[in-house]
Amino acid sequence: MNTAIPTAAITSGLRLDQCAKGANVRVVNLIEQPLFGAQDEHVSLRLKELGFLPGAPLKVIGFGLLGADPLAVQVNGTKFALRRAEAAKICVEPISI
Amino acid sequence: MSAVPIRLALVGNPNCGKTSLFNRLTGARAKVANYPGVTVERRSGMVTALENPAELVDLPGTYSLFVTSPDEQVARDVILGQLAGERRPDLLVAVVDACNLRLGLRLVLELRSLNRPMVLALNQMDEARRRGISINTAALSQAIGIPIIETVAVNSQGVTELRKVLDSYAQQPPIPNGEQVLTLSDRQESVEALYDQIESLIKQHVIQPAEFPRWQDRLDAVVMHPVLGLVVLFTTLLVIFQAVFAWATPAVDLIDGAFAALGEGVAGTLPDGILKDFIVDGLIAGVGGVLVFLPQILILFLFILILEDTGYLTRAAFLLDRPMRELGLSGRSFIPLLSSFACAVPGIMATRTIADPRERFITIMVAPLMTCSARLPVYALIIAAFIPQQTVWGIFNLQGLTLFVLYFAGVVSAALIAWFMRRRAAREEFPLLLELPSYRWPMAYHLLIGLRERAWIFLRRVGTIILALSIVLWFLATFPGAPEGATQPAIDYSFAGQLGHFMQPLFAPLGFNWQMCIALIPAMGAREVAVSALATVYAVGEESIDAALGATLAASWSLPVAYAYLAWFVYAPQCISTIAVVKRETNSAKATTFFTIYLFALAYFAAWATYQIASAIVN
Repeated sequence: MNTAIPTAAITSGLRLDQCAKGANVRVVNLIEQPLFGAQDEHVSLRLKELGFLPGAPLKVIGFGLLGADPLAVQVNGTKFALRRAEAAKICVEPISI
Repeated sequence: MSAVPIRLALVGNPNCGKTSLFNRLTGARAKVANYPGVTVERRSGMVTALENPAELVDLPGTYSLFVTSPDEQVARDVILGQLAGERRPDLLVAVVDACNLRLGLRLVLELRSLNRPMVLALNQMDEARRRGISINTAALSQAIGIPIIETVAVNSQGVTELRKVLDSYAQQPPIPNGEQVLTLSDRQESVEALYDQIESLIKQHVIQPAEFPRWQDRLDAVVMHPVLGLVVLFTTLLVIFQAVFAWATPAVDLIDGAFAALGEGVAGTLPDGILKDFIVDGLIAGVGGVLVFLPQILILFLFILILEDTGYLTRAAFLLDRPMRELGLSGRSFIPLLSSFACAVPGIMATRTIADPRERFITIMVAPLMTCSARLPVYALIIAAFIPQQTVWGIFNLQGLTLFVLYFAGVVSAALIAWFMRRRAAREEFPLLLELPSYRWPMAYHLLIGLRERAWIFLRRVGTIILALSIVLWFLATFPGAPEGATQPAIDYSFAGQLGHFMQPLFAPLGFNWQMCIALIPAMGAREVAVSALATVYAVGEESIDAALGATLAASWSLPVAYAYLAWFVYAPQCISTIAVVKRETNSAKATTFFTIYLFALAYFAAWATYQIASAIVN
């Protein structure tokens, strides 16, 4: 296990890439993705700039062709396509609507 | 009138309607070039109907000054004045999509920290109103300290007012220290703090419905559905493929016919001699050879522009991302590769929609392996001459099966090479992070301008190279002329003929005779010319070339040689137009040389292997 996972992530334990289609969730925080190597920090920054900030409500709206990858997410009224590796950086918690 | 025009730069997120606004402001008179050293497109033009001259640069779309792609890097470097040869803009015109305020305002607030003169064009106000978004522009403008003009890029509404504002800036002479370079200090405020500011701005000055328009979500439910989405995608691709392949044919035939008629007409009026040959066979045939590409380019780009403007293209890329990623490419490479089945020239031009430079490079490198329509005449001739009309396994025609194998060989090779090239490069996962923009109805005005731009780029940048090379080829095939009492066809005595003879030993391991080698030289102009060149060297009459030539070939080539010739045409970059367009699109002599050499090497190897294996089987 990666000990760097912040406590907030452990309490909910859910990541965006594990969400089903149509799920309404809220961002808890962003965690490290070793796949991106040195780029990881940039990816985090970009995700935040696009609105994936703690507290932001997200909706999973669709998946790509194979292995449910990439996934389409709506945030702040804008839709984005994220690959699983990027989505796995986003810890979320379910919200009811 | 001041001597130096003021410089304006349009800055904004991708999909904010920046380019439509650019076209409105400049009357669609854009100069399109590449930024030095990169393949990012630089579009600039003079703003029309201003009292004072002002040059407008349309910067590539960007989300942030903290860049992640070459496009964004160029946008940032121009804004900061860090790009060599580009004067820093005197005024930034930030474009924000009123339907996508948060993302746009975030960039604006980031730009504001540079303390540069800036105005804000709040674009797509009509659509925002339709969605029930209401913005207190005056109050918002005061709160952020930047003049805001509401615009609708679809018509001139608001654009006139924007012109007025720009004109008032243009009155002042450019700030003298325009050469000075700005540096981007470390991020002063965190992303979170910036977003807090935006939230409070929006809360105070904007009334925004929480929901997206219903029809947009419903459309997405179909388009991005794993099954329905595929049906939509393949229907769309089928239409495009059909259009590029079939709808272009009448236009291509028309151009071909017109130039043939023109050539005959001119031939009738000019006295026999070298001048006539040059004008008819060199110049007219050369110009015709350039123009025949235009119908396919226009049709393909019409579709691409429509798909792009409506917002569908990114959805297609989204669906196909995973399967294409297995090859080290992404969903974005799909349309360029598919179009290359009609012709690699428009296909390679279409790689501009690929953001990742490495992926774009690989796509360009493998695009000509898709069997283009120019190869069909060569395949048809050889298959008809050598492969018997036979039914195999009950349902398949052996000739059709051979043609399928040739197409298949190209596709499989492209997949392997793409995979291999990606493997060799440091394999770092490149984030996708693709915005799926709102669906929009495409604007005819914008489409026409886009088409005109593509046509112009092709004719000016690629057409001139093709024409020059065609004339060189004509020269090689014409001089020196046949001596008195020559027994062989004239081409045999020309430089091309000598070159063919000279090449023959090199091609002997592939089983090629000198006639085959000679035919390869004019076929550099276009692959299908190989057919008429073979007819010339075998001195087959012009009438009913295919049947007569087929019989001649069947009599003089062995089966392994015919197979080897086919294999050669699967791989060889026998097309100066493709090489010219690769040069233009990669902007690199090194890449173009690599492209040419690797494909010729591959062709040589494939033909050699085919010949040796087929010979071993036949004997």
